[in-house]
Amino acid sequence: MKNRREFLKDAPNAMLAALGLTALAVVSAKAADSADAKATGPMDRMRADLLRALVKPADQRRWAMAIDLRKCIGCEACTVACRSENKTGPGVAYRPVLVETEGAFPDVKRTSTPRPCMHCEKPACLTACSADAIKKAPDGIVYVDYESCVGLKACIPACPYGVPKFDEGGYFTDNTPKVQDYEKAAAYEMGVKRPRNMADKAPMGRMRKCHYCFHRLQAGALPACTTTCIGHATFFGDIKDEQSLISEMSRSPRVRRLNESAGTKPTTFYLV
Amino acid sequence: MNEKPTSMGLTRRAFLQSTAFLGGSALLSPMLDKAGCLISESAAAELAGYDLADANNYISTVCLQCNTGCGIKAKIIDGVVVKIDGNPYSPWTMFPHPDYKTSLAETEKIDGALCAKGQSGMQTAYDPYRITKVLKRAGKRGENNWVTIDFQQAVNEIVEGGKLFKSVPGEEGREVEGLRDLYALKDQGAAKSMAADAKKVGKKKMQVFEFKRKWADYLDTLIDPDKPDLGPKNNQFVFVWGRLKGGRGDVIKRFTGDSFGSVNAIGHTTVCQGSLYFTGKAMSEQWAYDEKDKKVKWTGGDKFFWEADDANAEFVLYIGVNPTEGNYLTYRTPRIMDGLASGRLKFAVVDPRFSTLAGKAWKWVPSKPGSEGALGLALIRWIIDNKRYDATFLANANKAAATADKESTWCNASWLVKIDDKGHAGEFLRGSEIGVAPEIRKDKEGMEYDFDRMVVMAGAQPKAFDPDDEKSVVEGELLYEGTVNGHRVKTAFLLLTESASQKTIAQWAEICGVDAKDLEELAREFTSHGKKAVADIHRGVSQHTNGYYNSHVLFTLNLLVGNYDHQGGLIKAGTYDYSGGKAKGPFNYSKLHPVKLSPFGTPIIRNEKYEDSTLFAGYPAKRPWFPLASDIYQEIVPSIGDAYPYPVKAMILYMGSPVYALPAGNTNISVLKDPAKLPLFIASDIVIGETSLYADYIFPDLTFLERWEFQGSHPTVAQKAQPVRQPAIAPLVETVKVAGREMPICLESMLIAVALKLELSGFGKDGLKDGMDYFHPDDLYLRLVANLAFGEKEDGSDAVPDASEKEMEIFRQARRHLPKSVYEEKRWKKIVGADLWPKVVYVLNRGGRFMDQSKTYKGGMVANKYGKLAGMYCEKTATTKDSMTGKKFHGIATYVPAGLDCLGRELDESAYPLTLITHRRAQHTKSRTVSNYWLLDVQGENDIQINPIDAKALGLKDGDLVKVVSSSNPKGEWQITDQWVKTMTGSVLIDPGIRPGVVTFSLGMGHWMYGSTDVQVDGKTIKGDARRGKGVHANAAMPVDPHLKNVCLSDSVGASAVFYDSRVRLEKV
Repeated sequence: MKNRREFLKDAPNAMLAALGLTALAVVSAKAADSADAKATGPMDRMRADLLRALVKPADQRRWAMAIDLRKCIGCEACTVACRSENKTGPGVAYRPVLVETEGAFPDVKRTSTPRPCMHCEKPACLTACSADAIKKAPDGIVYVDYESCVGLKACIPACPYGVPKFDEGGYFTDNTPKVQDYEKAAAYEMGVKRPRNMADKAPMGRMRKCHYCFHRLQAGALPACTTTCIGHATFFGDIKDEQSLISEMSRSPRVRRLNESAGTKPTTFYLV
Repeated sequence: MNEKPTSMGLTRRAFLQSTAFLGGSALLSPMLDKAGCLISESAAAELAGYDLADANNYISTVCLQCNTGCGIKAKIIDGVVVKIDGNPYSPWTMFPHPDYKTSLAETEKIDGALCAKGQSGMQTAYDPYRITKVLKRAGKRGENNWVTIDFQQAVNEIVEGGKLFKSVPGEEGREVEGLRDLYALKDQGAAKSMAADAKKVGKKKMQVFEFKRKWADYLDTLIDPDKPDLGPKNNQFVFVWGRLKGGRGDVIKRFTGDSFGSVNAIGHTTVCQGSLYFTGKAMSEQWAYDEKDKKVKWTGGDKFFWEADDANAEFVLYIGVNPTEGNYLTYRTPRIMDGLASGRLKFAVVDPRFSTLAGKAWKWVPSKPGSEGALGLALIRWIIDNKRYDATFLANANKAAATADKESTWCNASWLVKIDDKGHAGEFLRGSEIGVAPEIRKDKEGMEYDFDRMVVMAGAQPKAFDPDDEKSVVEGELLYEGTVNGHRVKTAFLLLTESASQKTIAQWAEICGVDAKDLEELAREFTSHGKKAVADIHRGVSQHTNGYYNSHVLFTLNLLVGNYDHQGGLIKAGTYDYSGGKAKGPFNYSKLHPVKLSPFGTPIIRNEKYEDSTLFAGYPAKRPWFPLASDIYQEIVPSIGDAYPYPVKAMILYMGSPVYALPAGNTNISVLKDPAKLPLFIASDIVIGETSLYADYIFPDLTFLERWEFQGSHPTVAQKAQPVRQPAIAPLVETVKVAGREMPICLESMLIAVALKLELSGFGKDGLKDGMDYFHPDDLYLRLVANLAFGEKEDGSDAVPDASEKEMEIFRQARRHLPKSVYEEKRWKKIVGADLWPKVVYVLNRGGRFMDQSKTYKGGMVANKYGKLAGMYCEKTATTKDSMTGKKFHGIATYVPAGLDCLGRELDESAYPLTLITHRRAQHTKSRTVSNYWLLDVQGENDIQINPIDAKALGLKDGDLVKVVSSSNPKGEWQITDQWVKTMTGSVLIDPGIRPGVVTFSLGMGHWMYGSTDVQVDGKTIKGDARRGKGVHANAAMPVDPHLKNVCLSDSVGASAVFYDSRVRLEKV
């Protein structure tokens, strides 16, 4: 249960309290629940939202992510999909899921909280980086510029969410009969195709973190965590677009943000 | 424009096209604009399109990380699968899914959802511990000392036999009988007639001496001429499989049965959810004419089960099922979670463990393991007492009555059952017994037969009727009891009422260890949603010694609301036919065999009537017989060990690991490692696993990313479907030549090569008859894909469209990395013919064939219906005897206590106070995901979960190491070889989410093989990886039947291998 300990260490009290809340009204979930033949699901809607956002200039859209904790079952599909998509390597995970079981039998409560980057409006990691390697795009994505990053790790203590991780290099299949090629394959982070096969070349030896799968957005696809979420618990889109599902979510009374007292103004939010 | 793909596998044209739907390629510029600050200048030079949203760079196939069978896109760069996502055409991964006719251009950017296991799938293929050449053991069985040998040499050795292990100490002089020695009866005509006579001998309708005189020339082909019903020596070859899907299943059955002539092609059903399947079989038996037996009988029961339509139900009672962690989770989870979030779906979870679904439930009911039938009967009692059942549905006695009420299904609740002197309910009353003469009918060949009817009380008069009568509506009284024409009778519904009334709800609740009020609330809720309430069950219900009855109780609960086939009710799986049987072509598989043998005799697992065998010698039998089941996995190896019903000489094991997977699987070891008990043991495996460890030969196999299969479907899937698994990457195993054709070493090449060597009919030249050869796996599989593409109508009106030229080109591009031995357009096209080729491509481009969302339901019902009688009372079960006790089984849903041995006795386990169960987590499959390092990263170890109350009593803290011991395994050990012992030691996790008195561990950990241990190959040590051996696998603590002594407990009716009736103690290490 390393997750639990990590959770207790990381999670602010406000969040814990919020996790206990249930059964509030759900925005738009009726539409999302497509039992009948012609209905489209939340995935269809978010794809449409995405395509609409992409035709706008970057500075007129603002990407955001919502995670509905009532629907998250803690399966960690997102964790692994992200690893596969971004070839993160051992010790780096962009989207861990923290699982907590509380209560006494038979009144037990379990919460699973995926923890991607919060893509803060005022990112503490960015401020802390003396190499100017953490950048914020006009559409809100906070990302590591691998060309500038020299692995100073100042962003690690700065981030109130424990997000940035240092890529030490190495492979999961180290110390087996053969290191496997899929681990060395290229990721497309921030639209740049980079194989992870040289110890002195990015992304090895750099800070790494979630970028909302910018490269997928650019290709017209939703982030990997969002498409693979088997509980339909992850929502993504342009929060500046009033018609978007994510905007609708953001107006829900169930909205909670993690550790707001840190003052970094997260873009990623939760529904409890 | 004719462009070659770039190194990223993407043409510029394709890239531009792929963005065109966004509103024009001009869009690219603002995204790449330096003003956007998204990329640095130096990086801009390296900027590339995203290769993984391009149909030219993936193959749509099917996952097999677990048995769910999600459609996947295997995304391939430079020949390597670098990413796997869901195939949106598959309703498994996308809810709702796009119509089948949607173009690839529209779906290439759409990824469906996969679980963590699916996302890690390439790690099963690219496992550094995979075997790539044939291994032959160079030491004793289990010593882990191997040599690689030539494929053809291995084939020769297993066919011809001889002193194959003369360099192994102790086996210098051991003469191994090869498969040729066992291929004794080859005469198709003789086999067919002998089979009929042998059956007569078993039934005592022919004397043994008569048989011997008639078949004097063939007696040397029999296992025992004095017991001809055991069958020919061919049966001494046994083929056993674990996970098996269509296509490969057809090949195995073809080889073992049709061509080699052995009855022993045996699957693993009972270790999964055997009694659930065989309850479904019993309930779906129909009163109809049996073509084979030429008479009307209970026949045609399907080995299947039902589950809930999660997408439309309003209330689901999930009992002993784990739909958000176990199998089918990708299909079920979005439907359940969307329903939860919208308020459409309310659900309760009955499970001693707080599953992730329980964490979302309206009510968690942590009942005692094994009490699921009692819980169901409590609900049934409340529903009957409060008259909350659908009396209209239950009164319908035949099809006409059901149709009049717009129901597709009906049951036999109102039918009259005869009660004997001892009060035992037996057969249904027949029309002929109330003076209504049987109807004379004619079969297809014009042969006359008697059709005797069933009887209900209607308007105070007995009425005889045909259950399938579509014209005259027959409804019966539900609670009749009396004497009709001298026969004492009760309705099935009355029998159910009596069964449920054996205890009060408070007493049932006590058995379950739950609050009676909770049960009443469940019953009220269950009957408050019309047909949109379902009891959904799985292994937690069926893997008990009372599993069949538990399952029958809970499917009966569903009958009370009549939810079968209803949208939001109880549904079944539906698959598109790939055999060509329905359309009688284009390649009708059942006819693609030149000379089929008629295998006959008693299978070694004895799924026949004990009383009809020459081995009958009163009760108890030497080992149990299971006439209502098949594929009784736990009985295979122990039966070989006891040579009952006869000794086995050779076994092939495919994709199975009974030692690891079975409860008390450790009992298999002493048989598998003893060449005197099992002289020849061949395994087909991708690694050296816990069971293939004991093999004489291991033939490497292909993983799911390298092979063909027809995945089929599951009862949770409302859409008719047939996902097709196809080669996505070049095989990682050695390529060999079989009859001059290149192919990878795999299950198929092994069987084809052995068949050619033995000159078996059905393989090689004209192997598929009518000039169609069967040398390469593709020769068969592509024709089966063609059948699927052609559809189920003889006139071709059900065929899929032709792939467009554009999609043909995508098909080629996506396979540009495959060697000719795997994919060659000319060869493939020739196999299926030019006409069908574009249709085959259409299907393969979409990873199978799937029903549209819009066609899934009609008029409040599922389109894919069960549509026939469902047995509330199962006459065949009621008239079958337990081979150990001689007592008849029950035809009506009944509670019997769990945890009994084969003689029906309770086990003495007073010193073992805890009940051990197992569970699945979403991150691992039972025996085959420990090779997936990304999964080990999220779950690298498991624990023994225990309630704080029990932990306190035992003085245990989180992280303490404990050994799991039991009455049949007091040392808590796996005895792997004489020298090698592994204790079942696990780390304690104190968790309020487990019922006090119950402990559990998640499956998939605690390996000692599968790459976790050093092995010797060709004199070199291959170092194992300790990461793959972490955690605990406590199956060896599960009880061994005290009477049989070498097998786990079994359900005597439905044959489940029993996991959850295990009593243990934890000892601090």
